[in-house]
Amino acid sequence: MPDTIPNPVTDWQPELDELRRREAMAQEMGGPDKVRRQHDAGRLTVRERVAKLADPGSFHEIGAIAGRAEYDETANLRRLTPSNCVFGRATLGGRPVVLVGDDFTVRGGSADATIREKPLMAERMANEFRLPIIRIIEGSGGGGSVKTIETTGRANLPGGVGGTGLFNYTTLNLSAVPVVGLGLGSVAGLGAARLASTHYSVMTKETAAMFVAGPPVVARLGQNLDKKALGGWEIQTRSGAVDHAVDSEDEAFECARRFLSYLPASVHDLPPDLPCDDDPGRREDSLFSIVPRDRRRVYQMRRIIEAVVDRGSFFEQGRMFGRSLITGFARFGGRAVALMASDPYFYGGSWTADTCQKVVRFLDMAETFHLPVVYLVDCPGFMIGLEAERAATIRHGVRAMAAMNQTTMPWCSIIIRNAFGVAGAAHQPAGRLSLRYAWLSARWGSLPLEGGIEAAYRAEIEAAPDPAQKLREIEDLLNQLRSPFRTAETFWVEEIIDPRETRRLLCDFAQLAAPLRMPQPGRLQMRP
Amino acid sequence: MAEVKIAAEITASVWQIQARPGDQLAEGDTVMLLESMKMEIPVTAPQAGRIAAVLVAEGDQVEEGQAVALLEA
Repeated sequence: MPDTIPNPVTDWQPELDELRRREAMAQEMGGPDKVRRQHDAGRLTVRERVAKLADPGSFHEIGAIAGRAEYDETANLRRLTPSNCVFGRATLGGRPVVLVGDDFTVRGGSADATIREKPLMAERMANEFRLPIIRIIEGSGGGGSVKTIETTGRANLPGGVGGTGLFNYTTLNLSAVPVVGLGLGSVAGLGAARLASTHYSVMTKETAAMFVAGPPVVARLGQNLDKKALGGWEIQTRSGAVDHAVDSEDEAFECARRFLSYLPASVHDLPPDLPCDDDPGRREDSLFSIVPRDRRRVYQMRRIIEAVVDRGSFFEQGRMFGRSLITGFARFGGRAVALMASDPYFYGGSWTADTCQKVVRFLDMAETFHLPVVYLVDCPGFMIGLEAERAATIRHGVRAMAAMNQTTMPWCSIIIRNAFGVAGAAHQPAGRLSLRYAWLSARWGSLPLEGGIEAAYRAEIEAAPDPAQKLREIEDLLNQLRSPFRTAETFWVEEIIDPRETRRLLCDFAQLAAPLRMPQPGRLQMRP
Repeated sequence: MAEVKIAAEITASVWQIQARPGDQLAEGDTVMLLESMKMEIPVTAPQAGRIAAVLVAEGDQVEEGQAVALLEA
């Protein structure tokens, strides 16, 4: 017997080699040319995005070698084109999350190269393991394309038999875990839906656009628009479809990390407290004079926010939409809260229809994730005028009131200046006890005097020999009577405070609220 | 030298124009005051530059996003 017969294989090295070979092919994504095109367009590949977003070395991929294989005539693998969905677990700041991203280098992120179960499993993993999910979206996000009809030989019924899973989780997870969407290229169809159906969404300014259907489809309507004009950041952040826009993908990743730092991993958990080295009793002298005595003049509400929260802890959401109300997250004594504040630079702080939509979504999120609410109030009422009526401001307004009244989270309002009318009443939930403080500059009423006097005293003013003089006399009288101290005399307002006490009182509120938060799902089923 | 559009951020009436063509402004300087909901809302220079043109007059109604002045920066 010849002694050249190789030893028989006794271990699984050939299979391991095959596995590693397939994994290496998956790492190549759509190939060098497609990767170069991605880079030339100023965009990272999905694998580079995952590597930058996750804590170093923490990404554990699932299903890396799923894809379309080509074999030679002897059934040996010639090539593996990976699925254009990359997903797995990772940590962000040491906390576990699910990451799922579209690979635009493989068939432009379209359905043609998607294995349907991959993004579905990512969503399901987030839901059942109670982990935040970050959707990195580019392309149609797994949605169908016209070409699919040719490649599959049949037309796809959206939501047809066996095809509802991803649609289900796209919205279901909003009531279960924090959902972040990053739009980092052209995003359309289901991709756009998955970006909009989040608690927080970010897009890049120069390299991303979002639309239901892109320019070639819209051109059939006679609208010849490029991507940016149709769905660029200025369109989408002002419309409220996307929360924030940034200059680079790195900034988008940082936004995602920062947003999640205020939230629990799921509705079964509580928002994490952080150590705080900012004195809860810190008094900011600037607050004593920040509100002008001239009632027609505006002031910078963001300066008040920065002065009262733990230093550097404010993180704003949706700055370009519903701009008469600032919304975001902050910490008081290390405890996270949802913070709303009027912005008098926009319609004097009046609630527009857009503002009301912003209130609903923000309060639903606060309620879902057990965040106490702080509201810095300067609201002269709902927006008025013909355009406001055409926008159904009052119906959006009562919807916002309903969202407020349905919250169960502890609530604290600081009335900075105005609280007028029905929108002024919507400064705390009706029907339960909240904390409330009024600054020395506060004033309120059913209707502002300006215009309100003419309505209420019309006959008296018209009958006067000098109507303008009569109007001034009435205004002077009412101004004396509406001092907030007179309101406090009758206990219609509980406390009037020195503005410099605000931080101490809000830190006190956050401490009181902490044990009232319950780490369990609430009744609310949040909608996008 | 770039020409920068200064836009109204809100729908409002023009209350008081404070900057004239040729004026040199620093970032944040007030160009004009708009009036909305009985409040005076400043429109400010987004960056330093010289006012090239004021595109509206006091009393005009302006729409959100409408250019109200041009700045040479």
